[in-house]
Amino acid sequence: MPESVPSNDAESYLRLLNAHERSLAAYVHGLVPSMADADDILQECKIVLWKQFAEFEPGTHFLAWARRIALNLILNHRRSLHRRAAAPIDEQFIRSVACEIDRNSDHLERRAEALRLCLEKLSKPHRQAVFWRYFEDCEIAEIASKSNRSEGATYRLLSRIRQILNDCVTKTVNAGTV
Amino acid sequence: MKDEERIDRALDGQLSPKEWEALQTAVIHDAALRQLYVERALLHGQLRAERELLTRLIEDDFAPIALSRPRFWLPAAWAAAAAIVTGLIVFHLRPVNPIETVATLAEAKGCKWAGSDLPTSEGSRLGAGRLALVEGMATLKFESGATITLEAPSTLHVLSKMHCRLIEGSLVADVPESAHGFTVDTDNMQVVDFGTRFGVTANTFGNSQVLVFEGEVEVNRNGHDARRLTTGNAVHVGDPPPHDQEVTRSTPTGESRDGWLTATTATGRGKDAYVRRGDAHGPTGAHPLLMVKHTELAANNERRIFLTFDLSNMPLRNAVEAELTLDVEPSGLGFSALVPDSRFSVYGLLDDSLDNWAESEVIWNGAPASLDGGLDLQSVTKLADFEIRRGAPPARVIISSAELLQFLRSDRNSLATLILIRETGEFDRQGLVHAFASKEHPRAFPPTLRVKPAEHP
Repeated sequence: MPESVPSNDAESYLRLLNAHERSLAAYVHGLVPSMADADDILQECKIVLWKQFAEFEPGTHFLAWARRIALNLILNHRRSLHRRAAAPIDEQFIRSVACEIDRNSDHLERRAEALRLCLEKLSKPHRQAVFWRYFEDCEIAEIASKSNRSEGATYRLLSRIRQILNDCVTKTVNAGTV
Repeated sequence: MKDEERIDRALDGQLSPKEWEALQTAVIHDAALRQLYVERALLHGQLRAERELLTRLIEDDFAPIALSRPRFWLPAAWAAAAAIVTGLIVFHLRPVNPIETVATLAEAKGCKWAGSDLPTSEGSRLGAGRLALVEGMATLKFESGATITLEAPSTLHVLSKMHCRLIEGSLVADVPESAHGFTVDTDNMQVVDFGTRFGVTANTFGNSQVLVFEGEVEVNRNGHDARRLTTGNAVHVGDPPPHDQEVTRSTPTGESRDGWLTATTATGRGKDAYVRRGDAHGPTGAHPLLMVKHTELAANNERRIFLTFDLSNMPLRNAVEAELTLDVEPSGLGFSALVPDSRFSVYGLLDDSLDNWAESEVIWNGAPASLDGGLDLQSVTKLADFEIRRGAPPARVIISSAELLQFLRSDRNSLATLILIRETGEFDRQGLVHAFASKEHPRAFPPTLRVKPAEHP
């Protein structure tokens, strides 16, 4: 297949992927609780997107198209898990959440932009906690031991940070600065 | 347990299977809860997706040396897979730069900058921050693929690869498909691109304008419904320029300090106005700006300027030098990116009987020595020409020539009328309209004629 695809296709694919990669990642991580699973799905998704890129209609919404493909992969992944162990999430639930994301796509993109500004404003200890939780994928107990806190205090800290971020995002979006 | 807490616990894997199932059922059936869940879940997902930014923030906090080694590479499996799919996908193999680049300053020739917190040398990689351009034109290439040409004087906040904010000035945005959704904010509106070339201007008086050269954008304003704009359409937000400024008229004067004599268009019977083909807005004599434009693309945007100076009390017969001074002002109309360096010509009106045009009446049809296609070359004589460079800052233009001096010396009715036209056309219908301050301008100097009388023996 690669031989038959003109090189400017590869280039436009990369441009589109580059522009929407973060939004796509947020979507998959938002729907798949396990970070490792979400990363696997994302990798697979990018390959499927490239293989099916010939079917993408230029001028239509790339992210919406990519989300549709990602959703199928997420559901397939869930079904394969289901055969192995107890299904973590119900399919109908995933579909209804995915549909809500599609419906509010623009608003959620603005929130994502706002989040970046808000992350910059976080205090150092809060950034550190976010880094452990979301970058290193630490469990609450691990963060508790790294930061010399009880698990309860760690949990409250993370909730507080999420509340701060959430409030900042809402405020930023409402102020119209993103 | 509050809904927010319940959702956060779910996302942290802290709910019991039973609680989790109850939450799922509630989310499926309750629209408000579903919306809340989506916002929280995406916040969670976005934090995971922001690995580059998180790495940078942590490195900023703990590594005072700016250039630390990148902490991680894109997942190796994906990179390897991509390399198998096609050899062309190589840039994904590059290590991720810990300081995220949002845009690159691709071109900045002859630019002068002030008060910027981003690097301003050509080729600089830019993160989020502020750019203040005082002279020249700069081109920014955003990582999303969008290109922005910023025209001095402008201040721009770069927010992300998909988003910037124009504090004041003007820009032209070229947005490829990869950057659909690219957004430019001004103080009072937001322009969201849908695959276009468009221009935005903003000034500190709260006026903003968007023009779509090609394609489609959405314009959002506080208190208004979103509005789609297509090729060739424009929206202007804010107050129209002030009209009917008080003009303090001076009487024909004596000498200035250096022995030169001056007359402005506010002196005595002096007057100034511009005309526009089609005359859609009637006479412009009271406008604070004198606008001039030449275009072959949009006939009704053609504009010419008329200036009349009262020369009574000016002993011109033995004058040895003469100069015309004009203050260049931003017109707020059009974009200099679409007009090359521009040449202007100044003509003198030969027929004295035509000096009696009236500011309150002059329009395109019937303006002195004017034919629709150009000036009536029987009634005028060319006195000088001058150039305004593309992206030049507002400045004072001083025009002087032997022909101007000769024209003034041969005047017989104490009124001299000059006609200003632009010779240079434009690449695009939305090219810049040049403007000079008129006598009604609240701050700048009116058009001024200065004459140096004969040297005393």
